[in-house]
Amino acid sequence: MPLIEVRNLTKVYVNDEIETPVLHGVSFGIERGEFVAIMGPSGSGKSTLLHVLGFLDGYTNGSYRFEDKEASTYEGDAMSHIRNKKLGFIFQSFNLLAHASVFENVKLPLFYSDIPESEWTKLVTDAIETVGLTHRTDFDVTRLSGGEKQRVAIARALVCSPEVIFADEPTGNLDSKSGGGVMQTLQDLNEKHGHTIILITHETYTAEHARRIIRIKDGLIESDTEVVARRHTTAGMLMK
Amino acid sequence: MKLKHSLKTAYTGLEQNRARSFLTILGIVIGVAAIILVMSLGQGAQALILDQVKGMGTRTIIVGGGREPKGPSDAGQIFNDSLKKRDLDFLERRENTPSVKFVMPLIFGAAGASYQSDTYNLTIFGASPLMEKIFDMPFKTGGMFTEEDIRARAKYVIIGNKVKTQLFGADDAIGQVIKMKGYNFRVIGVLTEQGQSAFNFDEAAIIPYTTAQDYVLGIKYFNRFVIEAQSDELVNSASDEVALTLRESHNITDPAKDDFFVITQVSLANSLSSITSVLTIFLAAVAAISLIVGGIGIMNIMLVSVTERTKEIGLRKALGATYKDILTQFLLEAVMLTGMGGLVGILLGAFLSWAISAGITQFTSIAWTFSFPVSAALLGLGVSGAIGLIFGLYPARTAARKSPIDALRYE
Repeated sequence: MPLIEVRNLTKVYVNDEIETPVLHGVSFGIERGEFVAIMGPSGSGKSTLLHVLGFLDGYTNGSYRFEDKEASTYEGDAMSHIRNKKLGFIFQSFNLLAHASVFENVKLPLFYSDIPESEWTKLVTDAIETVGLTHRTDFDVTRLSGGEKQRVAIARALVCSPEVIFADEPTGNLDSKSGGGVMQTLQDLNEKHGHTIILITHETYTAEHARRIIRIKDGLIESDTEVVARRHTTAGMLMK
Repeated sequence: MKLKHSLKTAYTGLEQNRARSFLTILGIVIGVAAIILVMSLGQGAQALILDQVKGMGTRTIIVGGGREPKGPSDAGQIFNDSLKKRDLDFLERRENTPSVKFVMPLIFGAAGASYQSDTYNLTIFGASPLMEKIFDMPFKTGGMFTEEDIRARAKYVIIGNKVKTQLFGADDAIGQVIKMKGYNFRVIGVLTEQGQSAFNFDEAAIIPYTTAQDYVLGIKYFNRFVIEAQSDELVNSASDEVALTLRESHNITDPAKDDFFVITQVSLANSLSSITSVLTIFLAAVAAISLIVGGIGIMNIMLVSVTERTKEIGLRKALGATYKDILTQFLLEAVMLTGMGGLVGILLGAFLSWAISAGITQFTSIAWTFSFPVSAALLGLGVSGAIGLIFGLYPARTAARKSPIDALRYE
């Protein structure tokens, strides 16, 4: 059974009694170990879909099953717990805690987890190593480059060993070189460590790093295709 | 989230805005310092009053004519003439007042005293030799008159230190004659300077009460009876016996119609300390208003902080922080702020009241003792913590209720 299964999902925002439908009924499934890009222009509903899939927001109709359990059965704290345990988030604007070290930033999700404190240091160190920032462990994040900041965010998303990592325009604030490094890191996570990754982007170039692209337009799925010519950033660029 | 981590997170939040945190707690610091100051000075004043009352002896009972003076409208009671020689005789009878050790009649009034060309206005006390014992009068030179002098209506006088300086300067006063109300009085004693104390005889002249009644003040009554009980335990029964005896002597059956009043030192001390307590509480309440103002300041800054940190809140929620986690974080920040304010306020208040106590002792002759009001300190700490909780709750709820999406989108 798929890790994520969406059937006829709709989402209508109600603001001051004015209804704004955003998702008009989308259906797809995502298996463990996939690397899927959700693509679409702004206003297409891709961010809304990410919020619903990421347990940050509810949905109006249809069904969203995560690990074969209907997402609407989770409420309040249960949603917080599932975000903490099963999901990792990477944002366009990094969202790191300023004036804190790389180590402190990566540790943040553990505060809200039930993982014993004795394991924290190892988990954090391992996550930082995975993204290749061990030499920056004690640096204040404000001293890092954009690409490094995003890799800190990736390490933070990894630290609780989630089932899925959501990356919302992870290269949007980066130049192409650092963006390439971030995409390479995500590909490594998927290929070498078997992490399921859902990437949200409006750039075809970025989306082509994934194995599969779901295109969304006006709240409906336009196409759902395998990537034929997958892009890879050279390892040499990453080691910079 | 464990409390240890919550505390650390809250502390980090405050530390990032050190200057603002400091300014925010200033209101609490001042409020708590003011409360500590008022309470400490109140305690000091109370200790001083009790000390002075005890200085006259806890066994002492005072009887006055008329109603007990309770306010300005009772000022006329000072001239009440209900206490007579007959009452003194009744009180001195052992069978009437077995718990009483002795009774001293006391009268007082004002008179001018002159020596050669100098005149000085002083207070005259007509008393018996017991006065020396009751008030523990410190003689610089000379001594007290005797019972014989009372019977003989002797024109002897004991003068306070200031009277002596005004009339005689550096010269010896003993044996000299001063004139009061046209009569010549021989100085037989001079008291040492007493300065500020409950009973100040520096500007007084003490003469036998018989002489005072017949020659100087021309009255037939007494202003007060100063009575001493046999022991501390017998003060209350002595005061009852005195009241019963005076009622018998005045033919009064209804205690409500008493034309005299009996005050024990204990009741005097109690009423004085209740006055200072009420004053202290009143002043502390005024100071407490500044705590509320400080609390509103905290709430204001916390709301600003919550808005500023909307993105951080969104991030924490996305990473798994629950409503309670965020609520706790911001509540702890508020309580930490006010708690620190309370702590600094207690130290500041204690220092200020210590400095004032030291100043009073240094520059006046009042024997003021500094006391640190432990209860007020605990109260101050508790109240400031509570203010953090109360005024931090609204901003903390605002923070905890933020939806992670809106918070992450916030720019």
